[in-house]
Amino acid sequence: MSSLSRKCVPFTPLERDLAKARVVLVTAAGVHRRDQEPFNIADDLGDLTFRVVNGDAVNADLMVTHHHYDHSDADRDINCVFPLELLRELQAEGFIGEVAREHVGYMGYTMQLKKMYDEIAPQMAEYVDKKCKADVVVLTGG
Amino acid sequence: MRGIPTALITVGPEASRQMRPPRAMYPKGFKVGNSLGKPGQRELQKKVLRDALLILTEPARPGQVVEREYPEYES
Repeated sequence: MSSLSRKCVPFTPLERDLAKARVVLVTAAGVHRRDQEPFNIADDLGDLTFRVVNGDAVNADLMVTHHHYDHSDADRDINCVFPLELLRELQAEGFIGEVAREHVGYMGYTMQLKKMYDEIAPQMAEYVDKKCKADVVVLTGG
Repeated sequence: MRGIPTALITVGPEASRQMRPPRAMYPKGFKVGNSLGKPGQRELQKKVLRDALLILTEPARPGQVVEREYPEYES
């Protein structure tokens, strides 16, 4: 990643039909399962860890920990930032091929930009590629 | 590693533009915390998600943030 010129746009063509694609949601909105360790919002530099959310998680299983946006709406309805439930409906309708077994949530605020860019983002991308086996990613912030 | 076709839904289009996203959509007027819509706006949320996925099938506009309007967000 760090070898890309800052002027490059990292673009990968989609070479299969959406109706046959496995979709992974990745969110910077601080989404995680309630039974996982919350993101550490006491860390002034920003918690750089990520959480894996199973593809059959229901909305009641999920929550937001994030201290840099007003997530009161997401607290009421997590579809506002992490529409996993709706993605499953799109699969049932045949609009997409498959909802991946695993999705990724992280807490997007960081002061450690270089570490995020050089280490953490590539780690997440590797996970999304090798473990989630994404054909396609939809990325949301808050 | 190989690249993965990715579409971003952003409610901060100016900041997102600076990061040169491969594909990005800004639902116009949606506030931070409402990337897909307001709580309970299920049909709108699904429409926004569907539109973000459809951008992956549209002619490529790397680095651009496509603005879409959803009047039902405010209704």
